[in-house]
Amino acid sequence: MLTYLLRRLLLMIPTLLGITIVVFSVMAASPGGISAQTLVGGMDMKPQEKQALLDYYNKRYGLDQPPPMQYLRWLNNVSPIGFVTDEQGQRGAFSFSKGMDLGTSFQYGRPVGDILAERIPITLLLNLVTIPLTYLLAIMIGMKSATQRGSSFDVGASLSMLALWSIPTMLAGVLLLGFFANVQHFQWFPTAGISSREALDMPFLPHWDDNGFVRGFLLDRIWHLILPVICLSYGSFAALAKLTRTSILENLHADYARTARAKGLAEDEVLWKHVFRNSLLPLITVSAGLLPSLLAGSLIVENIFSINGMGQLAVEAVKGRDRELVLSITWVSGFLTLIGYLIADFCYTLADPRVSYD
Amino acid sequence: MTDAAVSSRQSFAARIWRRTLDGVGVKLGLAWVGLLVFCAVFAPFIANSMPLLISRNGEISAPVLNYLAIEDVWILAGFFIAVAVSRLQLSGGSKFMLFLAGTGVAALIAHVTVQPPALVIYDDFRSAEYTQADWRIMPPIPYAPGDYLRDLGSKGLEAPFASDSHLHWMGTEENGADVFSRMIHACRISLSIGFIATGIALAIGIVVGGLMGYFSGVVDMLGMRLVEIFEDIPTLFLLLTFVAFFGRSLYMMMVIIGVTGWSGYARYVRSEFLKLRKQDYVQAAIASGLPLQSILFRHMLPNGVAPLLVAVSFGVAGAILSEATLSFLGLGVVDAPSWGAMLDQAVKSSTFNWWMAVFPGGAIFMTVFAYNLIGEAFRDAIDPKLSRRGGSES
Repeated sequence: MLTYLLRRLLLMIPTLLGITIVVFSVMAASPGGISAQTLVGGMDMKPQEKQALLDYYNKRYGLDQPPPMQYLRWLNNVSPIGFVTDEQGQRGAFSFSKGMDLGTSFQYGRPVGDILAERIPITLLLNLVTIPLTYLLAIMIGMKSATQRGSSFDVGASLSMLALWSIPTMLAGVLLLGFFANVQHFQWFPTAGISSREALDMPFLPHWDDNGFVRGFLLDRIWHLILPVICLSYGSFAALAKLTRTSILENLHADYARTARAKGLAEDEVLWKHVFRNSLLPLITVSAGLLPSLLAGSLIVENIFSINGMGQLAVEAVKGRDRELVLSITWVSGFLTLIGYLIADFCYTLADPRVSYD
Repeated sequence: MTDAAVSSRQSFAARIWRRTLDGVGVKLGLAWVGLLVFCAVFAPFIANSMPLLISRNGEISAPVLNYLAIEDVWILAGFFIAVAVSRLQLSGGSKFMLFLAGTGVAALIAHVTVQPPALVIYDDFRSAEYTQADWRIMPPIPYAPGDYLRDLGSKGLEAPFASDSHLHWMGTEENGADVFSRMIHACRISLSIGFIATGIALAIGIVVGGLMGYFSGVVDMLGMRLVEIFEDIPTLFLLLTFVAFFGRSLYMMMVIIGVTGWSGYARYVRSEFLKLRKQDYVQAAIASGLPLQSILFRHMLPNGVAPLLVAVSFGVAGAILSEATLSFLGLGVVDAPSWGAMLDQAVKSSTFNWWMAVFPGGAIFMTVFAYNLIGEAFRDAIDPKLSRRGGSES
């Protein structure tokens, strides 16, 4: 198992390299190049200051060198082992413990690592709330419509799943925001962000005090997350419910299920212990692709609900042509995707003892 | 028994087509797409500020024809060429080549001959010169997408059917332009991006996947790494990067959505070709010394193309959604109305106006839904094992 894990982790490296090379070449080949936008911000600078800034960037990032060299320089800075680079951009000795330097964002003037550390937890929180919720609902509904096949519940569920699946996230987000977080209609939910300012000073749990009910940090956070999570989850939920239904239907009339019933097991037992476990495999296969699609989905959802997560950051970085930020977001999201695949492969071994990687 | 005898006489493609058309959903889907095509082709005649026909002092003229843009003429010509070509008795490939050549020639002629006025002042069409006529025929929606109705004192953001003096089926947006008119003109962007971007992705996918499947071994391994790389970057993010760094013209967007979306097709073609390459007829084609492109595209591709059809109809839906998303994020085509951009307008405006969100969003939904229905029908027809109907019979 350990060797398998190691091999998979090592195989990630060429893929991640490839991903960053693709994105870097897109940026390098674009008209205006990488450095064009960095100088726009310096419109009001004096010529000497501008020149000094340009020189600094050239030294720090090698912008005056050909693109392949720039890429190698970036790679050297990012990789945990490599040549030590000093402030002047000169290459020093080879080191195994120099640490990763993701560079400084052109746009924000802050280290990329710090920005990512702020933003990633927010997007992860959104996705980690969404995924279990999606699976739970999808399995419940898929199970119910599979066992009651042909009933009105089944037909209605199938139709509405297909429709839900086709509703674009944008439309759902805009309508939810417009109708349920708007003074003109129902102002039930907050319009933006993932917590109110005053909630940051509240204790964690809801409680009663002198002024009445205090919703606390937790409840405030949940209140803010309801609309974004609905937006993120309904699409994959519809697809998953359909998949659950077909996969359970396949197993419901299998020989082993009939045997289990024949030997007198309760129907619930048959359903959950025998049929369900065998129907899990396609669901796990899909879960590998779920994380990347949710990351893409959070791009839109974060934009609509003004949540400062990775998705919002990606849009800002790309619009501002912020090279260091774009490259780092690229490999981080690629890495998360690959980790998602890896976790899915491990879940196979849990669900199906026949699968093993030794 | 008779049914089986009839169906066995039909070709594989005809049988699939017949089985696909069986369902109700797919008919609805095709009807919706047909409606969109109609709207896209005849947009200037459906929604425009100028009269279609006007008779002044016994002299009949058609102002709308004078104001047709080069693209309008080209799209019209392309539509009629497509209709004409589809009636000819030719094979699919030569029909397609004929269509391409015809539209190419039409584009050239349109560029040389059509010279619309550089400046269109829509207010003029409501002045005495155009209104005081013997008779005139207006388009069903008498507002152009860029007509902000300044002379009518429009303040914008009018709800549907709110005003008595001028009728807006779907209200107006912030600047005062008619939403319905903009929606009709936006059909073009969605449809053209859907088809052309998918075409580009398909072409790349077939070539890469075909080479991978045919040669297998090292080529396959390298190709698969490439496919994996493109699959592991979140597509939307790659699209954003491309669009932000390469500008935002319509044609660029088609290319970009195509270039980022080929990995799925490559996978399909690869797995089909891996199965086919050991078959006798392929071996015979190799032994008789046919050139590579002939083996790949003449002999192998027609036999491996069926599962691609399913992927393509889902792919068109995906491409339309990609365009809408990019426009929604403010990175779409600037000068033409698009459903995604209209949805973005609805969010950005200071108050929430339901008609600005519901209609464009609904159009995106209907289009994506229609393509998904068509894709499902194709899948049911091609692969009985995967089909819902087949599953319920067993």
